[in-house]
Amino acid sequence: MAQIIIQGLLLSGLYALIAMGFTLIFSVGRVLNLAYGSYLMIGGYVYFYLTQLLGVPKIVGILMATVAGCVVGLLIYRLLVKQLKGDHVAIEISTLILAVVLQAGIVLLFGDSSKILLPIVPGVIHVGGATVTFSILAATIISWVILIGIYIFIRKTHTGRAMQAVSMDAKGAAISGIDSDRINMITWGISGTLGAVAGVFFASYTQLSPSMWVAPLIIAIAVVIVGGIGSIIGTLVVAHIIGFMEILTTAILAPEMRGVFTMLLIIGVLVIRPRGLFGREEL
Amino acid sequence: MSFLQIEKLDAFYGKALALSGVELSVEEGEIVAIVGPNGAGKSTLLDSILGLTTTNGDICLDGNSLIGTGSAAIVKCGVGYAPERCNLFPYMTVRENLLVGAFTSRENIDSNLELVFKLFPQLREREHQETSTQSGGERQMVSIGRALMTSPRLLLVDEPTIGLAPKICLEIAEVLRRLCKQFGTTIVITEQNTNFAMTLAERLYVLETGEIKASGTVDEMRNDARLTEAYFGT
Repeated sequence: MAQIIIQGLLLSGLYALIAMGFTLIFSVGRVLNLAYGSYLMIGGYVYFYLTQLLGVPKIVGILMATVAGCVVGLLIYRLLVKQLKGDHVAIEISTLILAVVLQAGIVLLFGDSSKILLPIVPGVIHVGGATVTFSILAATIISWVILIGIYIFIRKTHTGRAMQAVSMDAKGAAISGIDSDRINMITWGISGTLGAVAGVFFASYTQLSPSMWVAPLIIAIAVVIVGGIGSIIGTLVVAHIIGFMEILTTAILAPEMRGVFTMLLIIGVLVIRPRGLFGREEL
Repeated sequence: MSFLQIEKLDAFYGKALALSGVELSVEEGEIVAIVGPNGAGKSTLLDSILGLTTTNGDICLDGNSLIGTGSAAIVKCGVGYAPERCNLFPYMTVRENLLVGAFTSRENIDSNLELVFKLFPQLREREHQETSTQSGGERQMVSIGRALMTSPRLLLVDEPTIGLAPKICLEIAEVLRRLCKQFGTTIVITEQNTNFAMTLAERLYVLETGEIKASGTVDEMRNDARLTEAYFGT
């Protein structure tokens, strides 16, 4: 029981971080960035390449992974999303295609076998009968620090409020002197950064493989759909529902079934409550 | 050249021509009203000043052309806008809405907030209420307040009285008058309610089907029998 609760909390913290970057873009730009999983893949591989192949210190590896994620996020916005001028279907199709292309790129560079990341922090700790690796504990703690930081940034800074403003009323934002293009750009940069750091943690939780972008993308989509647009609290709560659901499925049924319930949850919420559990009505 | 000078302005929404050949000038420190029926192009005209439509022609503020500079720069230049539908941020509090208005004018946040709360004391009481739960009158006040947070030299108010109780209309008129007299803010309002416009403004423009059909001081307009009949009832 303790094992399930602790593992559930740890996994959910990571899921919340994974979902946050995706939620931000969906809230501000109302568009699903289906290349979001690639940020995690790129973050994971950059970290792997620098720390395990070149021997760069791990903290530098994480920082460079976030820089890479940020740059990729900005490039996708500038070169793809902006050119498609708000055509959501076109953006979603092309970001999905881009994810597949990036996967091929990773196969080309690193081969298609999966790789194990060395623990970010070696060692284990025993809590209430559960064994927790320091790596995962660190990942969860850092995830929470980042999530709280993002929350404060969005609620308390001018740029954060401008992001909310653009998401709630584009004309209202424009007449307040907010350049929505710039705000979108910042959002895509932050999203890429969050995705990449989540990728380093996710890869150390599971493993590094060219197809590792799919599972986090589904988690992120599930959190946005179930949580609802524009709700940070919704994102956190739903990340925990999904995290615990997966841990329970793994413990009670079989590890292979863990993603299935997440997907069923997406369909269920779409049918029963399309604006999500915490989503606000569109005005 | 006038403080706000609009010359040969055509405006388009998509491909549809919404304004054609509009000429309009506003001097510093005056209140001017643009009156006309629904669909005449009044909102389009104000949107165009903010750079929110596609236009031909020129719009100058204090001698500088606003064309092609983008809404953010225009707001920074000193144009505040309270649009007809308010366009507030529904899930933010009154205070947060006002703070968003300060995006381009951060050095004046405290004094501007104080000004807004002085002009609309009931907003101070509702400071932490989400605007989605507010009445139409309060939203209008937040909307004008948010425009004031941009430190405007020119304030545009689109149909400030639409759907509001007469008492609140008077309150808003009083605030606009005060802004003009005490703070020297230049104000352009649009109105379907010509009587309200005449009590507030010094000069009027009549806009119909996207064209300026008449203009003059309130007295001139009142004394023009033809206009009175056509636009102001009897």
